[in-house]
Amino acid sequence: MNNINEILKEALDKLKNVGLKDTAVIEDIENIKVEYLGKKGKITEILKTLSSMTIEEKKKIGSLVNEAKIELNTALENKRKEISNKLLEEKMKNEKIDISPAFSFSFPKGHRHIISKTIQDMSNIFVSLGFDVYSGREIETDWYNFEALNIPKDHPARDTQDTFYLENSECLLRTHTSPGQIHVMEEMKPPIKVIVPGRVYRNEATDASHSAIFHQIEGLVVGENVTFSELKGTLKLFINRLFGQELDMRFRPSHFQFTEPSAEVDIKCVLCGGKGCRVCKGSGWLEVLGCGMVHPNVFRAVKYDPEKYTGYAFGLGVERFAMFKYGIDDMRVLYENDLRVLRQF
Amino acid sequence: MKISYNWLKEFVDFSLTPQELCKMLTFLGIETSVVSGGANWTNVITAKVLNKQKHPNADKLSICTVSDGTKEYQIVCGAPNVAAGQTIPLALIGAVLPGNFVIKASKIRGVSSDGMICSQEELGLASSSDGIMVLDENLPLGKKLEEVLTDIDTILEIEITTNRGDCLSHIGVAREIAAKLQKIPALPQIKTSKCVDKNIVDVKAKDLCTRYIGCLITGVKVAPSPKWITDRLEKCGVKSINNIVDITNYVMLELGHPLHAFDASAIGSNKVVIRRANDNEKIATLDGKTHELNSNDLIIADAVKPIAVAGVIGGEYSSIKDTTTEVFLEAAVFNPGSIRKTARRLNISTDASYRYERGTSWEIAETASWRALNLISELAGGRVEFREDYCIPENKRAVINLRVEKVSKLLGYDIDEKTIANILRFLGIEINSRVQDVLIATVPSYRNDIKEEVDLIEEIARIDGYEKIPVLTSSSGVSSAVSSCDFQLTENLINSLVGLGFCEAMNYSFAEIKDLDRFYLKYSYKILNPISKENEVLRSSLLCGLMKNLEFNIGQACSDIKLFEFGKIFDDKGERKVLGILMSGPVWQPWWKWESSKLNPVFDFYFAGGVISNILPSKEFMISENRTPAKYYHPGKTAAIVYHGKVVGQFGVLRPDLTDAVNGEIIYAEIEVENIEKIYKNKVNSYEHIAKFPSVKRDISVVAAKSVKFEKIEKIFKNVMKDGGILKDWSLFSVYESDKLGKDKISYSFRLSYRHNDKTLNDNEVNADTSKLLEKLNKDLGITLRN
Repeated sequence: MNNINEILKEALDKLKNVGLKDTAVIEDIENIKVEYLGKKGKITEILKTLSSMTIEEKKKIGSLVNEAKIELNTALENKRKEISNKLLEEKMKNEKIDISPAFSFSFPKGHRHIISKTIQDMSNIFVSLGFDVYSGREIETDWYNFEALNIPKDHPARDTQDTFYLENSECLLRTHTSPGQIHVMEEMKPPIKVIVPGRVYRNEATDASHSAIFHQIEGLVVGENVTFSELKGTLKLFINRLFGQELDMRFRPSHFQFTEPSAEVDIKCVLCGGKGCRVCKGSGWLEVLGCGMVHPNVFRAVKYDPEKYTGYAFGLGVERFAMFKYGIDDMRVLYENDLRVLRQF
Repeated sequence: MKISYNWLKEFVDFSLTPQELCKMLTFLGIETSVVSGGANWTNVITAKVLNKQKHPNADKLSICTVSDGTKEYQIVCGAPNVAAGQTIPLALIGAVLPGNFVIKASKIRGVSSDGMICSQEELGLASSSDGIMVLDENLPLGKKLEEVLTDIDTILEIEITTNRGDCLSHIGVAREIAAKLQKIPALPQIKTSKCVDKNIVDVKAKDLCTRYIGCLITGVKVAPSPKWITDRLEKCGVKSINNIVDITNYVMLELGHPLHAFDASAIGSNKVVIRRANDNEKIATLDGKTHELNSNDLIIADAVKPIAVAGVIGGEYSSIKDTTTEVFLEAAVFNPGSIRKTARRLNISTDASYRYERGTSWEIAETASWRALNLISELAGGRVEFREDYCIPENKRAVINLRVEKVSKLLGYDIDEKTIANILRFLGIEINSRVQDVLIATVPSYRNDIKEEVDLIEEIARIDGYEKIPVLTSSSGVSSAVSSCDFQLTENLINSLVGLGFCEAMNYSFAEIKDLDRFYLKYSYKILNPISKENEVLRSSLLCGLMKNLEFNIGQACSDIKLFEFGKIFDDKGERKVLGILMSGPVWQPWWKWESSKLNPVFDFYFAGGVISNILPSKEFMISENRTPAKYYHPGKTAAIVYHGKVVGQFGVLRPDLTDAVNGEIIYAEIEVENIEKIYKNKVNSYEHIAKFPSVKRDISVVAAKSVKFEKIEKIFKNVMKDGGILKDWSLFSVYESDKLGKDKISYSFRLSYRHNDKTLNDNEVNADTSKLLEKLNKDLGITLRN
């Protein structure tokens, strides 16, 4: 019996020493296993002597030997795990690669155009405020672009909207997205709450801040009790969500033929926070959109009863917002489609 | 328009600084800014130079002792013109000069200086000066400079919205200030008198001229204007001509109504006719040009010839000259649209036409006429020979009903009747009576922009201040309608393309004809009035723009081009939204790891096909023979994209002669998004149960004649699958050509996928089905199994 305990102790001691020197350690564990539990192992040998013992002794010694076997096996297994973990750690340590070129893997990445992205961002905000999206036409008639919007022929309001006309046709390229208001009101019945994003055309030379083509988002809300106060609220929510911060806004009286009262909206300059900079020309404010209450003549043009309905409308320039938001100082950059620019956003 | 700050003060008493005034006017709807002048300093006083000594350490400096009447200062001065006895502006320690220049106590070359003697330039009163400013020696000492310099003024620039022609004058702006500050503006003193009417004015175009006041003044002496007139004209940017012309301009700047003075001796047969011009009638005008008129133009004529283009420009012949002694003075109201049409056609914009286009007042016309007559007799002598006034009876002030509750209802906040009435009163709008809750408002004729109730409501909101309107963020309901088209489709297409590494481009909708020609494209819409060749027509394809982008980027040493654009194209089918995709060069940018894995694909027809099928919203979109390929495609490498037999786009390799700019091929696809939006609207992929039993794969390789179209093979597969057998899917994984196969033969390898919905298939069942398929391929298309 002492014999078994001694053999077990001897085996466990040997096992403890495994791995203190560094080579062939898994084999060392196997060798210990063979030496004690193999066919001719020291513990196995004791079992062989059992046959010459009494039943009493057999029971006693047999169970002692089995316990020793289990203990040794467990110890062997634990040691094996410990050693293989150690070996794996070492192996991985040796496998360390140079990580530095990883970000130079130029996996093809696509980019959305900054204007298209801005239109989408803006539309999403308006949709979240309950607006529906309507897409208008780019070729329009004088009626939709001007007359129905209370801009008669030979009215000085036309001076600000130099128009491209089409040859051999009564049509023109829309100078603003406002004709969308007329189409929407002709096609739907109040309550109306829509935006009309789209491309507009002005017959003017292109420079850093002008372009013959740009994009607008028109908004129109018509109902039985729509107020100026609500217009202010909607635009405030829009601006705050777009810029992700509470931005000071101010409404200045202005004039558009198709709204009355009309206002122009300034926001606190997003670049300097109102201190005055190059972009806001030192004023601390950026003029960002025009708006107002729908003029009764516009309702009359679409055969709505101006006594029953009121409404508000607004129009904003997408490029202007994008340029403020992303610090772009030349509008022409937006239409060059230089991949070095497209890939920035 | 330029406005003099001091001149405004003649009409309304206010104590705002120019900057404060600008802000107030801007928030009334008149964008105003300071352009020049004004006392932009603090702590500058009048002082006298008592003596001047040379600076011991500097040749060009002097040391002056300066007195403000009670205290003496030692000032170091560098100006050569400083001299004892002069009265000068002295900036004290702590003074701030324009440009935020702060005066501090300092030592100059070892001598301390208690301030600075200023030049006009330093005070911002002149753009440059040679030396210090020398003041009138009789001025009291120790006074604030801005108090003694009575003639310093600030010039404001105002921008008027098109509806507010009434503000294009000093009285007009003064009225706005008065309305906001609740004051009554003072008008210039007008003396009227009784005059003879000689009945020489004949208004023929009664629809275009609603008032015409003509006066003949004789014994006039034409001479230069006095300084107070020329000064004010100059401040407002108007050139002085002579006293008569200057008076008409002065009155226009003051009251806003354009006037015209004729040399009466040039008016033949004592007749002044206001009529439409005859076609081809000509007139030589003050701008030195001769204009040809037509029957849309309103003119002032004598019995025979035009003497002025009404409201636009006067005739050269009838202008006021130094020798003129008889003046015919016109104050008239013309139709705004007519004036605008003529001015635009003749390409002339004058101060008069600008005001007439915006509408003038029949009441101010009369005031202006008298005001000018008063000034002429005061400054040029002469006497009124006769005065004639043609005024149509319809010239009446507008009367508008205003419902008090409507104001609050439209603006969204409570505003009481007393406030409303008060605002209107100070705007010159009279409330003469009321019927229950309705105020009856009479609007002065110069406010021709106020036509109905909402216009009055705007006035109330504007004067009360837009900032008073509360911000209501809980907004009213949502729209009753559903989107007119499926924006989600476009969004999905963009997201897919971006995910595949494509960049979105945006090009102008215009094209040059020569660019369209290059791609064999026609145009359907030509611009009538383009600014340059670049926008002569509307694009009929997105290809031109995208190709320009490709060439530009290749010029920037970028070889992998993957671009797409969503935009309108305009052709004989009208205006519609399409998606253009252009790809060329390596599919991926170079990377060292590609080398070892030999993964360096470049775009070709098939890769492009993969991109397109990947982005399309369902498997129902298919490739088919392109029966009407665009001419820019290589005829052998193009395909149509069809949806249930309907063509929704095409793609292909561009003709090689179009692709000189690149190595390899350029692939272009144009997809009719609007079409897809229409047919694919509201389509949802419904859920299919996942098979419970495993599928079995079989690879087969077959040999076909090259003349057999692949789509025919495809059709057989699809038909077999449609029949609901155990063949559930198939794909082409290899295409092989070799002489070993035989002449004009081609081999395809397919991977077939078999599955039964209710059991696991065994080999025999699968083999039997494959044999059946092969039999069909053989029977219909002569295709055999490859050995």
